[in-house]
Amino acid sequence: MNTTVNSTARSTEKNKADAPRALTLKPVHMRKLAAIIDVKGRALFSKNFIIMPVFSLGFTFLMDILYERISGGAAAMNAYALAMGMLMNISMMGFYCTAASLAEEKEKNTLRTLMTSSVNGLEFFLGSLIPVVLMAEAVNVICVFIVQLSMTPVQWASYLAVTTAATVIASVVGMLLGIFSKNQVTASTLTTPFVLVFMMIPMFTGFSETLQKISMFFFTGIAFDAIANISNGLPAVDVKGIAVLAAEFILSVILFLILYRRNGFER
Amino acid sequence: MSEVYISIDHLSKKYDKDLVLKDVNAVLRRGEILGFLGPSGAGKTTTIKILTGQLLPTSGTAEVLGIDCRKIDERIYEQIGIVTDSSGVYERMTVFDNLKYFARILNVPLSDIDPLLKRIGLYEHRKKPAAKLSKGQTQRLILARALLHKPKVLFLDEPTSGLDPSTALEIHRILKELRDEGMAIFLTTHNMEEATKLCDHVALLNEGVIVEYGTPEEICLKYNRIRKYRVQLTDGTKHVLLQSPETAGRISLWMNEDKIETLHTCEPTLETVFLEVTGRELQ
Repeated sequence: MNTTVNSTARSTEKNKADAPRALTLKPVHMRKLAAIIDVKGRALFSKNFIIMPVFSLGFTFLMDILYERISGGAAAMNAYALAMGMLMNISMMGFYCTAASLAEEKEKNTLRTLMTSSVNGLEFFLGSLIPVVLMAEAVNVICVFIVQLSMTPVQWASYLAVTTAATVIASVVGMLLGIFSKNQVTASTLTTPFVLVFMMIPMFTGFSETLQKISMFFFTGIAFDAIANISNGLPAVDVKGIAVLAAEFILSVILFLILYRRNGFER
Repeated sequence: MSEVYISIDHLSKKYDKDLVLKDVNAVLRRGEILGFLGPSGAGKTTTIKILTGQLLPTSGTAEVLGIDCRKIDERIYEQIGIVTDSSGVYERMTVFDNLKYFARILNVPLSDIDPLLKRIGLYEHRKKPAAKLSKGQTQRLILARALLHKPKVLFLDEPTSGLDPSTALEIHRILKELRDEGMAIFLTTHNMEEATKLCDHVALLNEGVIVEYGTPEEICLKYNRIRKYRVQLTDGTKHVLLQSPETAGRISLWMNEDKIETLHTCEPTLETVFLEVTGRELQ
């Protein structure tokens, strides 16, 4: 991946346009990346962020109990509860946690300190993304055990692949939103519509054909449908689903790079 | 003469139509402190941002450790330390963990942290969360973080602004020690006393223009046009006398009669020089 370095600090000035434009390939130092992942990972357990995975787990648990009572323990309903929890987890962790984490670094002036301590943009990007994706995936796995959905190894692999892809896309979009967020309050305000749209539309596909059509083009919709497919013994994602995931991943990365080149991590 | 660490040559910076730095020239050598002295908006922070690769100049050149400021990338940050008003600390982490994080990034042995904390006077607070530090302690932590990798050049933007006098004095002591160890320090301040006390060379900056450059003594002596002496006698009377043979005679007489309590020359300070040159107050 190509990135520019130092544009973080440059960006806040009026003439941020004078920052270098060329995208240059920067090496990722594992030592620096590990340090960032460590600190960012620990930050996810702080009270600002831990509420998100806990809420997702609680929501999955409640949905499971609710649908179990309604359906009398049908496997499809367990899968539905899992899909709801997974959607909430991916949206909240991916969009909110990455955006708020970046916004917090800006708010507390630690981002600039970090970027003037020999960390390059790519190291910061990966160091911010990896802990969120790992934690979101851990929660997605726990959700499966909460709803007690039994899956074959192949189904597990499909589930992990699809949810990881969806989390990565949500996290890249979260980083993108983080660029526009001066502080955590702004991050929260900016991410809320994204969380609602990308979570609610797939959730309510059962009530509207239009929503179902729209959902087919959302990465969260693909992940939502994947769980239903897995519980029905079908392949988790078809070619079209893979194409949607790939296209949205590429689109989010391109958008991120365009904005990053223009503004760095600070708008 | 010692090695040149920073050279600034006809540097200018324009924000839209505002020229905030105009034809600035300066040199900082190893083991020296160079102070950019001026009021808010004089262009001090802009200069630091250009020198640290956070901004590009509009014209002119500047080199830091032989690297053109236009070509600065993250590798330079392994050789320079930066303390600005926008330097932050990780509030949830302890003092030690803050430094440990940057030690890992900058490839500094963790065993270097405790001696640095002792030197900076934060060792007893090493397990305290950064959020619980006072402003002075936080500033010391920021300074410790900037010194962690033993940089060749240290950039300090108003390092003692808003600090109590004892903390400011402690920071001055540390900076003098670092200078004596060979570190080059680029300091911006609007505190003329700090500049006089610390800097080997100062540049008086007004609206982006260096109006005076030299050692604090040279600058003050240059403006010492009307030589005066302030005398306080043992009977409590105070006299301000212009330099003349008559004054020499009076002082000599008072000395012989052991009447002089205090005797001072009245050369201008950097602040009065700045006021004379620009018509503006520093503060």
